[in-house]
Amino acid sequence: MRGRSLADDVREVARGWRWTRRPLTPRSAEAWAPRPEPREFPTDWARTRVAKATREAVLSYGFRPVIHVETEMAVDGLDHLDGVRTPVMFVANHASHMDTPLILCALPKAWRERTAVAAAADYFFDVWWRAASTALAFNTFPIERTGGARATDTARRLVGEGWSLVVYPEGTRSRDGWVGRFRHGAARLALEFGIPVVPIALRGTFAAMPRGRSWPVKGRLPVSVRFGPALQAEPGEDFRSFSRRIQQAMGRLWDEDATDWFRSLRHQAEGTTPSLAGPPAPRWRRMWESSRPLPRRGPERVWPR
Amino acid sequence: MGRPGFVLEVDERTPPLLVHAGEGFGVQRFPLGTKVIYPPDSLPGIRDVNAAIQDALLHPIASDPLPELLHPGMRLTIAFDDISLPLPPMQTPDIRGRVIEHVLELAARAGVDDVRLIVANSLHRRMTPAEIKRAVGERVFRSFYPDALTNHDAEDSANLIHLGVTEQGEDVEINRRAAESDLLVYANINLVAMDGGHKSVPVGLGSYRSLRHHHNVHTMLNSRSYMDPREGHSAIHDSCTRMGRLLSGHLRIFTIETTLNNDTFPSPFEFMNKREWEWSFKDQASYLAAKRANERAPGRMRREVFRRVAAPYGVTGVTAGDTETVHQRTLATLHRQQLTEVNGQSDILVVGLPYICPYNVNSIMNPILVQCLGLGYLFNMYVNKPVVRPGGVMILHHPVPWEFHQVHHPSYIDFFDEVLAETTDPAAIEAKYEAQYAQDPWYVHLYRNSYAYHGVHPFYMWYWGAHAMEYLRDVIFVGADRKAVGRMGFRTASTFADALEMASETVGRSPSVTYLHTPPLTLAEVR
Amino acid sequence: MIALELYRSATRYAAARIVGDRVPGLVAGPLAPLRLVNREEPAVPATGWARVQPRLSGICGSDLATLSGRASFYFSPLVSMPFVPGHEVVGDLYDDLEDLPAGTRVVLEPVLSCAARGLEPCPSCASGQTGRCDRITVGHVAPGLQTGYCADTGGGWGRMLVAHRSQLVPVPDSMTDTRAVLVEPLACAIHAVRRARIEPGASVLVVGAGTVGLLTTLALREHSAAGEVLVVAKHARQREWARLFGASDVVAAGDAVTELRRATHAYRLRPERGSAYLLGGVDTSFDCVGSRASLDLALRTTQAGGRVVLAGMPAPGADLSPVWFRELELFGAYTAGVELTDDGPVPTFDLAIDLAAEAPLEGMVGATYPLARWREALDHAFGAGRLGTVKVAFDPRED
Repeated sequence: MRGRSLADDVREVARGWRWTRRPLTPRSAEAWAPRPEPREFPTDWARTRVAKATREAVLSYGFRPVIHVETEMAVDGLDHLDGVRTPVMFVANHASHMDTPLILCALPKAWRERTAVAAAADYFFDVWWRAASTALAFNTFPIERTGGARATDTARRLVGEGWSLVVYPEGTRSRDGWVGRFRHGAARLALEFGIPVVPIALRGTFAAMPRGRSWPVKGRLPVSVRFGPALQAEPGEDFRSFSRRIQQAMGRLWDEDATDWFRSLRHQAEGTTPSLAGPPAPRWRRMWESSRPLPRRGPERVWPR
Repeated sequence: MGRPGFVLEVDERTPPLLVHAGEGFGVQRFPLGTKVIYPPDSLPGIRDVNAAIQDALLHPIASDPLPELLHPGMRLTIAFDDISLPLPPMQTPDIRGRVIEHVLELAARAGVDDVRLIVANSLHRRMTPAEIKRAVGERVFRSFYPDALTNHDAEDSANLIHLGVTEQGEDVEINRRAAESDLLVYANINLVAMDGGHKSVPVGLGSYRSLRHHHNVHTMLNSRSYMDPREGHSAIHDSCTRMGRLLSGHLRIFTIETTLNNDTFPSPFEFMNKREWEWSFKDQASYLAAKRANERAPGRMRREVFRRVAAPYGVTGVTAGDTETVHQRTLATLHRQQLTEVNGQSDILVVGLPYICPYNVNSIMNPILVQCLGLGYLFNMYVNKPVVRPGGVMILHHPVPWEFHQVHHPSYIDFFDEVLAETTDPAAIEAKYEAQYAQDPWYVHLYRNSYAYHGVHPFYMWYWGAHAMEYLRDVIFVGADRKAVGRMGFRTASTFADALEMASETVGRSPSVTYLHTPPLTLAEVR
Repeated sequence: MIALELYRSATRYAAARIVGDRVPGLVAGPLAPLRLVNREEPAVPATGWARVQPRLSGICGSDLATLSGRASFYFSPLVSMPFVPGHEVVGDLYDDLEDLPAGTRVVLEPVLSCAARGLEPCPSCASGQTGRCDRITVGHVAPGLQTGYCADTGGGWGRMLVAHRSQLVPVPDSMTDTRAVLVEPLACAIHAVRRARIEPGASVLVVGAGTVGLLTTLALREHSAAGEVLVVAKHARQREWARLFGASDVVAAGDAVTELRRATHAYRLRPERGSAYLLGGVDTSFDCVGSRASLDLALRTTQAGGRVVLAGMPAPGADLSPVWFRELELFGAYTAGVELTDDGPVPTFDLAIDLAAEAPLEGMVGATYPLARWREALDHAFGAGRLGTVKVAFDPRED
């Protein structure tokens, strides 16, 4: 053991402890191995002042220009944010990797700076570089899709510190552009934290950049971000009914974006708000419908290109 | 919750394991299938130690609360364990000091004036003022030293009193002041199962005349092991118990026993407390750094670094009251921290001897002490039967330098040069030399006035290993000074692989090997 | 549904191919074209199919080859990306399926043959040799030679897969999961041994002592009358296993030619370049590693007119000169089918289940991991031999 060179020692440790590989527990010690703590990727650094400034730069000079060049972005309903008690929980449908930068770019700077995004721990926080880059660019924090006691610890802490959250209740990106199974987790959290929920309808993102793409499709397709009025749980309301109300609000918002405000209200009153889950039709028709680009807004071009 | 101790079976996934070797250490690959005995994870220490002490004193076991035993005009003596405990010395505040402060607090409140504090150092060297101060704390030290806070002197016949003879004819002679007190409070640290109980007062405050009845080859051969103080298992403890019971007819003893957890090594040596496959990258790096720095450092500096190691021990138990009842409870707590069940004996026992043993705190671990630590303490760290089979081999890692502390161990030097040169048989040594050394006026003088161990102490160290020497067929030191080891009648191998090769003469080509992974301390309960 | 998904990634493929052999830690880590995903449960594609919840799923050598980019591009049209790997599966049937009630414990016969694809049986399938099916790219499910290479069926490294009745073989209740998960590789080994038509008393060489090599050794003792069985093994624990399974002698990889020469009393020649070879040698050899070196060794130590069986997915680049010069029969043995026994044709899986029930397989599955710890699992599997492990498996039920 003694009288050897440093290189020998380092080699021995490197071999013994399997550097570049993963540590292993001897078989006879497996029964006593401490259960690997689901180690959460630390993201607090992403909320420091330097990280904030970097993020602002990345969003303003990286994502925003790309979004504006590659899509035709429309933002509505920001007036609903005025006078809302903060922090809030933004709840949106999710169809594209574009959704998060879109929401962040749509938010006013003061809001954006105090907003964190829930991201699936199993995907986004699986490898350090993805975890670190998304945490830096979008201020993400890990949340377990499968639930569990520790799943929401970080969310709870962040709300306590006054951060607004972006949560996608579907838990994953939609496969066909329509809203998939709407989980109750978001409503449950909002209820627990006692914070208002601001629904957001994102339309056109599936057409512009569906699952599997990492860059918007060509043609500068329109995308729309529409904020709705904040919802607050009624006293004594349980999370299921609150979740249903959020879903309805999103449905109406989606309808408002597709038609107009008044008509969406009428639809709501008549109970004919179109379902977020899309038409009960074969898969191709659902795809067909959801991948149809949104109609262009604003004045038609005066002269052809 | 801490994990219990367990026995690892070395397989291909096992990293090399840490082995201590005196003032050095390193990692060592073991043959596949080697069993490695690990202690339970360090238990959490008591968060509020002061409250625990208070509670123990006010609600003692099988005794009146301490305040009721204190009254004005009484003679109160407080004795406490000496420098040999704990190992390494614990970070201040030392638990002894804390306990003594609480006792004195109560004594002051009760109006006790006549208080004496005695270091129960038996035939060990006297503690230096600085060492005493570290053990009892500055407040106690300033209030009592030097008049009312002294080392026990086992050769001061005026201050010893012979209290009688046990039914087995054993003389009981202890410190006169302690014996004539209205109350003797004893504060101990129960580091291993050998300590405490009736071993505290009759031994700690005893004289050679009294000690020779149990510190001898015969009792040591019949203490199997002396880490298992249950009645009938350990002759030395049985003898101490007889003496203790006789003593309790003469004076009132209030025993306070404490136990520590296994947080033996402070930063940056924390990796030594952990199981190797759980070493983080940081642990691996600090191992490499510590090992390199240690090997590069000149010997003096290395010793200085280790001497400064103070263990961040947590206190796991404080129990007070009647000696025997308290000790039962203390042992239970201790076992919770140290006991590991082991299935079956093996052909070879491997140990790594650390840089410290009870008798070289702030000193040098000479070859005799190395022998005592290995064949005495670590070999005996068992309950039921030894880890190694009868006629097996013990392989010890230690450099065994031919070095002695001139002040602390003068009789050791002569023992090594004169006695061991002639014979290494404990019984022969006992018969021919013990009395000479015990009564040598020069050693007595040094014991009383300098800081030397008593003249007879090296004999005890040798007896401590008598059981192992009789039991084992071969003892091999790895990487040791050939001459020093040869003088003691053992063999030397330059590497562990060579040692296994040499052992194969005795136990064959495919022996079963057990490595007692200690420190931190482990007591093997062999089934 | 949580599952491990293998996806197409040219960069990772290239990177894994370049450094995979040298630093397998990278393949099990950042370079793996594998990810833990929340996938849609696979849908039942047609009648005769049902869902199966895997209980244990082995990591096979071919899986590792695919991950580290060592698999031939030959197979690329035979798979459909992204797929969930895992074809050594024992699981619970989730739905009722024809004669099998839900909850039946089954092992998976992974080949997606004509029956599963809803096609008229091709000539191979008609003869029972489903492994040789010609229709593995068409029919009800996406292309895929086996479950575990098909995008539509899911695979063992996920919490759910779909399987056709023809793929399911119930296992006896008395058989543990760790034995049952070895039925598929054992069936392959039996198939290889049966295909080799070993003469009684013939000398046999098994190159490699991983799962395939060891199970081939076992199958040689149970399904042939081979005489000497020599096994080439690298690691200590592998040698123990080989002896346990009936190897007459175990030789180290480095001096295999020398030792085989002595065992077979052959002549040993050393060419100016390349490794030594024998004139004479064993009657039959099995390449159970699938590397260039292993095939070379098998070819160079088999006597003239002997047989060389490719029992593992082969690597390109072996020197075929001995095949010509020594008139060797070189043939492959892929997956399982039916075997001609004294009692007539019997499905290989039935033979494998019988053998798995009685063979000393305890401890062969050396480690199980939950899906979430896939990096550790793959790392372990890549180093299995050196770490004294034979088979590493996923337990997809665990969190």
